[in-house]
Amino acid sequence: MARGISLYVEGQSPLHRVHPLTKGTLTLVIIALAFIAPSLPWVLALGLIVLLLLASAGVLARFLAILAALLFPIGALLVIVQGLVNPANREVLVPLGPLSLYREGVLVGILTAARLADLIGATFLFSFTTRPADLAETLMQHGLSPRFGYVVQSVLQLIPQTLETVDRIRNAQQARGLEIRGRLDRRIRAFLPLMMPVVLSSLVATQERAMALEVRGFGLKVTRVTRYRIPDSVGQRVLRWALLLLLPLALLARLYGWR
Amino acid sequence: MAWLSAFKFRLNTLGIVLIPVCIAIDWAGRSIDKLLNLPLFLDSIGTVLGGILAGPWVGALSGFIANFINAGTVDPIAAWYSLVSLGIGFAAGIGGYLGWHRRPRGWIALWILVFLVASIVSTPINIGLFHGQSGVWFGDGVYTALVKAGVPIWISSYFDEASVDFVDKLITVLAAILIFQGLPRRYRSLFRLYEPSDDQREERTPARA
Repeated sequence: MARGISLYVEGQSPLHRVHPLTKGTLTLVIIALAFIAPSLPWVLALGLIVLLLLASAGVLARFLAILAALLFPIGALLVIVQGLVNPANREVLVPLGPLSLYREGVLVGILTAARLADLIGATFLFSFTTRPADLAETLMQHGLSPRFGYVVQSVLQLIPQTLETVDRIRNAQQARGLEIRGRLDRRIRAFLPLMMPVVLSSLVATQERAMALEVRGFGLKVTRVTRYRIPDSVGQRVLRWALLLLLPLALLARLYGWR
Repeated sequence: MAWLSAFKFRLNTLGIVLIPVCIAIDWAGRSIDKLLNLPLFLDSIGTVLGGILAGPWVGALSGFIANFINAGTVDPIAAWYSLVSLGIGFAAGIGGYLGWHRRPRGWIALWILVFLVASIVSTPINIGLFHGQSGVWFGDGVYTALVKAGVPIWISSYFDEASVDFVDKLITVLAAILIFQGLPRRYRSLFRLYEPSDDQREERTPARA
């Protein structure tokens, strides 16, 4: 049951076809704007743009399911804690004696949760529509050392393998009588017997892998030639700079009283 | 300043190959933690182990990259905490270079160092993203109580994060050291070049643990 960990969804939408650097810029700019924007309507408007983009890539339903699972616990915590103790608190919203929730703090909590929702959406916009191999290739073509390109690519294969090993070792250890349910101290004691074999088996393979890479010229300092070019265009380059230009503009607007 | 020589760049193929393995160990730690339903993260064991075994660069790079991999797969917020993992990897690498993992007193030093780095670097990020909260129920309870008692936000936020990291990093460092001790000697000796060379060593006992 090898399950990949990448979230990439195969597709033909414009977002899938855009150069990874353009998508990366878009993601970072959206996140920065979400934290520069001064008030809830602006943050929500930005969120709406993210939702439209996700819908255009055909991944909206998958996103909403993940978003709910990620955002609900942290959002609830933010609203409760800020509602209780935010320094700006004046007006009581839910009177509960010493545990009263205040209006100002609750609003701060909601605003922060909305910003996080923008951040999560923008990040998934990138990871849903970008093939990891393309990302590594792009980074290498823009000056990342190929050795780190290898790291990124191999880690995506290695993690599912390791998780499978965890499964196998759990079965083996349980067959030998290891208890993984029950009281906390018993569960803590089960940690090392599960962890140790996983680590050993994954470390032992490294030496062989290093030698296999060495004999294929991994450590050589030569320029690599790539056959696979990721299509980029002048239009996209302009778009990237335009997106980046939004940031100083937004900061200036903020300084001159954007509310 | 002997510890600065830990940073002399010596990243050979074996070191590079170790980085993805450390990241996978981070993942294994987290998945076993979930399997056993423990109230901790335990997702930086690989980072600490990489640092002890192969120096600060392997530790820091595996921590740094691991956070971006997490961000693209399970936890979009993780990317912003990549600096924390970078610091943890550096701290473990320096501790490993100085041989702290060989003496029980060094174990405590390594734990305190990793704990301090993690909690101090996390705090400004928590302030920026979560108004100072850490997003963990227990820590945020500490935060609420402190702010209610009139403690400034920055300090409350630090104690919020620290209250979680204190235990988490103890278990993480302990697990990484125990795993290191359990590695075959033949394997550990592959990474000898990340340790101080013999002439710099103050004491060299024949039976090294």
